[in-house]
Amino acid sequence: MGSDGDGAGRESASPLVVMQGVSKRFPGVVANDDVTLDLRPGEVHALIGENGAGKSTLMRVLYGLYPPDGGTITVRGREVKIASPRDAIALGIGMVHQHFVLVDPFTVAENVTLGDEGGPILHAEDAEQRVKILADSYGFHIDPAAIVEDLSVGEEQRVEILKALYRGVDILILDEPTAVLTPAETNDLFENLRRLRADGKTIVFISHKLDEVLAIADRITVLRRGAVVGETSPAETTKAQLAEMMVGRPVLFRLDKPQVQAGDVVLRVDDLRGGRLHGLSLEVRAGEIVGVAGVEGNGQRELANAIMGLQPLDGGHILLGDRDLAGVSTEEIRDAGIAFVPEDRHEQGLVLDMTLWENAVIGRHDDDEFSGRGGVLFIRKIKELARRLIDEFDVRTRSIESTARTLSGGNQQKLILARELETDPRLLLAAQPTRGLDVGAIEFVWGQILQQKAEGRAVLLISAELDEIYALSDRIVTLYEGRITGEFSPDAPAEELGRAMLGGVVDRAS
Amino acid sequence: MPLGDIGAAIGIALTYYTIIYVTGLGGLFSERSGIVNIGLEGMLIVGTVTGSWGTAELTPELGLPWGPLLGMMIGMVAGAAFSSIHALATVTFRVDQIVSGVVINLVAVGVARFLSTIFFGQATQSDSGQPRMNPLDLPLLSDLPWGLGKAFQGLSPMVLVALVMVVPATYALSRTRWGLRLRSCGENPEAARSLGVRVAAYRYQGVLLSGALAGFAGAFLAIEVNLSWNEGQTQGLGFIALAALILSNWNPIRLMAAAFIFGFAQAIPLRLADAPIIGAIPPEFIRMTPYVVTIVVLAGFVGKVRPPAAAGRAYEASGGG
Amino acid sequence: MAAVEAGTEARGARRPEWLENIGGQLLAVLTALGIAVLLGSIIIVAYSAGTGVGEDPITVYRAILNGSFGDKNGFGYVLANAGPLIFSALAVSVCFKGGMFNIGVEGQFIVGMATASFAALTFTFLPAPLLVLTVLLFGMLGGMAWAAVPAILKVKTGAHEVVTTIMMNGIATSLVAWVIGGPLRYEDTGGGFNVNLRTDPFPDAAMIPDLGHLFGIRSSARLSWVLLLALLTAAVMWFVLRRMRIGFEARAVGASPGSAQAGGISIGAVQIKLFLISGALAGLVGIQQLFADQGFLPAGYEAGIGFTGIAVAFLGQKSPLGIVFAALLWGVLARGETSLQLETDMPREFIIILQGLLIISVVVTYQLAKRRLFARQLRRAAAVEDLRDSEAPADAGPSEGSGDEGEVR
Repeated sequence: MGSDGDGAGRESASPLVVMQGVSKRFPGVVANDDVTLDLRPGEVHALIGENGAGKSTLMRVLYGLYPPDGGTITVRGREVKIASPRDAIALGIGMVHQHFVLVDPFTVAENVTLGDEGGPILHAEDAEQRVKILADSYGFHIDPAAIVEDLSVGEEQRVEILKALYRGVDILILDEPTAVLTPAETNDLFENLRRLRADGKTIVFISHKLDEVLAIADRITVLRRGAVVGETSPAETTKAQLAEMMVGRPVLFRLDKPQVQAGDVVLRVDDLRGGRLHGLSLEVRAGEIVGVAGVEGNGQRELANAIMGLQPLDGGHILLGDRDLAGVSTEEIRDAGIAFVPEDRHEQGLVLDMTLWENAVIGRHDDDEFSGRGGVLFIRKIKELARRLIDEFDVRTRSIESTARTLSGGNQQKLILARELETDPRLLLAAQPTRGLDVGAIEFVWGQILQQKAEGRAVLLISAELDEIYALSDRIVTLYEGRITGEFSPDAPAEELGRAMLGGVVDRAS
Repeated sequence: MPLGDIGAAIGIALTYYTIIYVTGLGGLFSERSGIVNIGLEGMLIVGTVTGSWGTAELTPELGLPWGPLLGMMIGMVAGAAFSSIHALATVTFRVDQIVSGVVINLVAVGVARFLSTIFFGQATQSDSGQPRMNPLDLPLLSDLPWGLGKAFQGLSPMVLVALVMVVPATYALSRTRWGLRLRSCGENPEAARSLGVRVAAYRYQGVLLSGALAGFAGAFLAIEVNLSWNEGQTQGLGFIALAALILSNWNPIRLMAAAFIFGFAQAIPLRLADAPIIGAIPPEFIRMTPYVVTIVVLAGFVGKVRPPAAAGRAYEASGGG
Repeated sequence: MAAVEAGTEARGARRPEWLENIGGQLLAVLTALGIAVLLGSIIIVAYSAGTGVGEDPITVYRAILNGSFGDKNGFGYVLANAGPLIFSALAVSVCFKGGMFNIGVEGQFIVGMATASFAALTFTFLPAPLLVLTVLLFGMLGGMAWAAVPAILKVKTGAHEVVTTIMMNGIATSLVAWVIGGPLRYEDTGGGFNVNLRTDPFPDAAMIPDLGHLFGIRSSARLSWVLLLALLTAAVMWFVLRRMRIGFEARAVGASPGSAQAGGISIGAVQIKLFLISGALAGLVGIQQLFADQGFLPAGYEAGIGFTGIAVAFLGQKSPLGIVFAALLWGVLARGETSLQLETDMPREFIIILQGLLIISVVVTYQLAKRRLFARQLRRAAAVEDLRDSEAPADAGPSEGSGDEGEVR
């Protein structure tokens, strides 16, 4: 199994931090339920669980962002109350969030020193100097005077880590750090983490990616629905066992892909230009799933928006069958037969403050079936539709009059899927369709997508999760800086994909 | 066209520049901390009535010297106090910032009337002929030939203050710890919070500062320009200051230019109404000038500016700090 | 799910959600009223102590209420006054539903008055009912035209409507002043010198019939059909917002523009339509003044209703029903100014303070109530989840990957 043995010698060291019986509640949910956990110096401690298990919440309690509702926290033998990030930092605890919290227009040095500037008057050169020295001492390559907005994602992450190191933390919490990294950048990160561990630091590694956890961790704590269900180490467990602990039942990692003969080309995208797109071309056939793999920020959002007519283009064509959709309104694009499951279900999917039945009919509210010529809505018909969709897709809710806000992430996604698939589209465009969902919901969504393929529809899948790309795609293309850099079959090894995702142009694989 | 008219117009422009710049600067601090402040007009109004009272009633009663200056200080304090409503609503209660600003403007009119009855015994105006500061003639500049010198004669000393204000403002924003932290609250409050910066505190400071500056500008308007208080004397200058702020891309230095442009637009109906071409237009249309200019500027420039990223968004701080 | 749904529907009569929402809103409004009254009492006491006037809150409030409920004419005034306020507040709330702030109702109503006056003075050959309808139509057209400018600017250039509408107000004031003093100016051919600037008097056919005489009411604002028109308009607006496509699209755009757009709704088209509707409503604000009370358009027309409409819209929490009640409440307060002055020693300006307190407390209370409602909705929803399969509500405050620390992207 994967882990280096470095941490083994320190297992007998006394714990640095003990969280004892910690609980945290939010309206309607118990996020952490009587959790007990300890952290030792010089170890990488992985905290795993599926989305919603409480991993981030627990660490946010430790970092002082939330007050716990129960339990105690002991640091270096003394019981403490951590009421704010300031307290946590004072105790030597630092955190790098999943979504970076950097001030874009500021420089690296300003971001690192914010809150600890060293005096009422700022001295930019001194700050930059200090940051450079710190970065070099850990082997981080970063320009302290660079503006954060211009940095790559991997560099931004290094800035986040530097923020913590600058304040002399001994414990560094990383929340899903590899979600936004390429395989190569992940390796760099692990190198840095090993260096930090050798220096006696403690790393808390929150993740749901079991392969990585097995590769880097010394100890693994598994959370399920807010409670600890197990503690182990890579030597003592397997990926399948971990998955079962996380979910509570055996988990399939691959679904059976239906065998379907690919038909005519349904969607052809030709040399798209505009925003982050720099000449993107691809095509999708009926009965096939094309997976677009790539690290976030390389044009995924723009590609989806362009196809749906939500973004102006500088050039290129989008052909659905024979029809060029460039410049056409979103309404017409949807009517032409493209269904959209957006990557951000709150910003582009559901209207959270409207009821479920209202959400169920968005996009079809002006169909003859649901509204008359004068503009009057046929409420009864709409509610019938909503009830049927909710039933078919098992969306759990008190009533169709509840607002979309009250649904869980998985149920929200189900509602969106139900609504979109109801239109009997020619093409399903799904962007990050299982982000933030627990395993049960992920299985459901994957099943639906495969069903679309079985029924002969075309599916364009955009995802940053390689597991998902491999599980669903018939053909994989890699996206880098607004262009397709390679095409692969699902048998291709991840390293090749990784290289193409970083811009290395690869010959077309079988 | 007699250049003296232009000179006089520039003088008026400088006076209105003062009001617009100071108010706009206040708005700048508020917005860069993350709180949009539509209520500048209301804070101006509060400044006018309280400043007027300070100069005309309070200081003579207490026998204090420097009435006008004290009046402006009182306007400043009153503006800050009034703005605390906006701060409380938006920062603590997380009411929508624009809604709160609109409410502030509505309430200010009523408050001004109420105070006016208490101060002056009448609802909509004070007595005229209030004391003002001794006007200055700027050395050298007021001797400019061709009538341009008129622009620099008879100016209130506060105009000079408004011209140099940019220095401490820029310094505070870009070279001090306070400024860095304030700006971080407006760009990414989550980042600030995660490093222990108390976002709510900085936003309160931003809003109170905007109230103080707007209150000061209002008092200046009543004391130095109109020499009395009248309902409606602010004439939308608070909104013009907002437009100037947008035009300046939230930069104190560029705000000077923007404020002067709008100040000059105010001056046109007042001093250039008889100029060629302009004189042929009916007076009511000339009075529209400042408003038309504002719209044109906004329509032309909005797409090209970049407001503080987090301005207008409510920030939820749970737990400490 | 079917079982859950059926069960809920069967018990639906017990506590439908919409009823709970209204109950919650009513509670919020009453709380706000209570807070405002309380704060107002403090001011009364402070003022009395400070100026030796010696009034107590109970007397003051009673005096205020006396103005409206003490005699028929007072009540008639309140009803008549409500008409323009309802139009104004509806105009504001229509745009607000779509996420926009129309502060320009003032300017739109003034221009509407000018165009309505023009119609009244030009189409004099039309018989009574037709002339009235024409006048109303022109009023709406004027308001729509004035609202179209900031709307188009917003959609095409992104200029923020708050500032542009306010600027349009300023332009409107000057423009209409010119119209009254120029094209539509009244020249007294009787030879007398007319001191007050105004338009010609409108033909009788354009005037709106009085209703007050049916009840023996002769109030300074004449109770007329305008009130009925306003109530009808409020009902129509409710229907438009809740049961028609444009209302649906407007609410979607106002609540989540991105999701609306991804669903095929054209944000720009909706915004312009809303502003036009809003402008049309604004154009009717001046009808009471011109065609029920005065009979001509004076240079000293009653201004400010556009802004008061904003206050009434907030008070009524932007729902048509709430607006009607808020307009009546506002009328009671306005009428209370006079009775306050006659019966007590408090200055009439206290009313304005009270109005201000009311707006602020409504706005804040509404915000707090909304948050508590969310929390309760989430708790309820969680209780429904099948225990075996329970998932954390995505928005229960922060959860994995979607924390409220700005992580929902």
